[in-house]
Amino acid sequence: MSRGAIRRIALWAVAGMLLAVWAFPVIWALLTSFKTERDVLAYPPVWLFKPTLDNYREVIFGTSSILPNLWSSIVVATASTFLTMLIAVPAAYALARLNYPGRKASGFYVLATQMLPPVGLIIPYYLVLQKIGALDTYSGLTAIYLTFSLPFAIWLMVSYFEDVPYEMEEAALLDRAGRLRALWYVILPQVRGGIAVTTVFVFLNAWNEFLFAVVLGGNRVRPVTVAMFNFISVEQTQWARLAAGAMLAMAPVILIGLFAQRHIVKGLTVGAVKGGGRR
Amino acid sequence: MSRSASVRMEGIVKKHGAFTALHGIDLEIRPGEFFALLGPSGSGKTTTLRILAGLEPVNAGRVLMDDADVTHTQPGERDVAMVFQSYALYPHMTVAANIGFPLKMVGKPAHEIDLAVRDAAAKVEIGHLLERKPGQLSGGQQQRCALARAIVRSPRLFLLDEPLSNLDAKLRLETRAELRKLQRSLGVTAVYVTHDQEEAMTIADRMAVFMEGRIVQVGTPHEIFRKPATVAVAGFIGTPPMNLLPASLTAAGVRLGGALLEVAAPGVSGTREVILGVRPGDLRVATAGIPARVEFVEDFGDSSIVNLEVGGQRVKLRAGESPDLAEGREVNLAFDPRAAHLFDRATGQRL
Repeated sequence: MSRGAIRRIALWAVAGMLLAVWAFPVIWALLTSFKTERDVLAYPPVWLFKPTLDNYREVIFGTSSILPNLWSSIVVATASTFLTMLIAVPAAYALARLNYPGRKASGFYVLATQMLPPVGLIIPYYLVLQKIGALDTYSGLTAIYLTFSLPFAIWLMVSYFEDVPYEMEEAALLDRAGRLRALWYVILPQVRGGIAVTTVFVFLNAWNEFLFAVVLGGNRVRPVTVAMFNFISVEQTQWARLAAGAMLAMAPVILIGLFAQRHIVKGLTVGAVKGGGRR
Repeated sequence: MSRSASVRMEGIVKKHGAFTALHGIDLEIRPGEFFALLGPSGSGKTTTLRILAGLEPVNAGRVLMDDADVTHTQPGERDVAMVFQSYALYPHMTVAANIGFPLKMVGKPAHEIDLAVRDAAAKVEIGHLLERKPGQLSGGQQQRCALARAIVRSPRLFLLDEPLSNLDAKLRLETRAELRKLQRSLGVTAVYVTHDQEEAMTIADRMAVFMEGRIVQVGTPHEIFRKPATVAVAGFIGTPPMNLLPASLTAAGVRLGGALLEVAAPGVSGTREVILGVRPGDLRVATAGIPARVEFVEDFGDSSIVNLEVGGQRVKLRAGESPDLAEGREVNLAFDPRAAHLFDRATGQRL
């Protein structure tokens, strides 16, 4: 066997092992979502069982339907992602390229807000939202999500903007584009991939968020992460329904992941290889 | 239909924090001239070009184009085009879109842009590549694309920042000649930055030599080659550059090691410490003169450079085809006294 073949087999073996570890909980939850509660609790676990769609029927159409909660998640995640990107892209460009007084300080300030543990912020946030009557509202929760998604998005986008060679922008300025048109025609097309990756990350963070949602949400605004918690109660845990709900909540994440896979891998390695400009 | 600008820089000072990149640059460039800014890296030539482009603000001084003060004018408003060392092509646009971009930005109608793009591309012979993306072009083709983008809108001033440095040696020579021809046919004023003295010598009408943030000499290539103003310029110009040897100057002539050379030294009283400069082409092997030992010979086929040792220093001599000079041989060197250059050893200035 050639060295190349051995390398390839070793690579597949390692990748397969890692995949098994990562995928196991997902596969287990998928199987559980098709089981009856009795089969779920069977010990030793049964691998061959009669699949049922009752759990899905219940979490979609039943009394504990999570459809309103999925809607809440969609609204909050979409709104916060849209606003984040709307602010983060120009902010990151300014931090990466413009020279203005207080640039370093503002860059640090953006980062400083990330240094506090979220748990420490919950009570102040709760009090603020209560004072302005924004508890359990879409606008309230969206605003709170911006506090952590904005710094993240800004700093990720800064690294993409910094990768665009200075000279390209200078060429556009000499070509009479002016700052705004240089940004629109020359710079933004080159950070398209970065914008896609950042958007996906921000959306997924908002979609997966639990801590702020459970404290600052309520009966009206209850994202799916919080709603699934209802299947776990003092008397019993409805594992099968929880699994079915989890599958529904996970579906968009997996779809987006598959869709944006190529960009995400590129995004994770940003800055690893410096290309282009001299400086 | 290019117009050609006159350019004047007056007392330009540029600082990067505590570091002064340019200590007061004065420069005058005539309309239609091909003007080279020559100097080693870090001497301030690229900074000067970027100031002309409006990409760098200045700390003091004025920039005038056609006698109008443009010191604080935005890059896009100066009517200048620039070819960057990295070409700075827009990678997501086709060659045609790259070349047409400056026209699109001033709102030219599409059919006019199309005509102008074809015309500019034809001038640099890339008319067949218009639909490609820059990533699909060779280095030489990218360079032409950058040139076409610069000439498409007939600027009054053409700025080139080491445009040939990313090409291989053979292509560089070809492009150098073509660039010169293109500039002549357009009649546009061009300012050309290079660290390659041979490139500047062959391409420029006039040039300015930069050293450590100052212009040390301005003139035609011929003038600068014949009469370098300082030791630094003398050691920078020429292939290979001038031999520079410490010597003392007296009324009788120049004393170099043990030898006394008859070099005219008008008005010298006493002894003066100098540097004697002789071009490799002006040196010859003679029966008497400066004693030297042959170290090795670089043979180029039709000519050769003989490396010799004189009083512990390397001296180069240009000789003809395969000179009969074996390594280690003791010889004597002589030169026409009129070919000698003398510089003050303390200040480096030409005497």
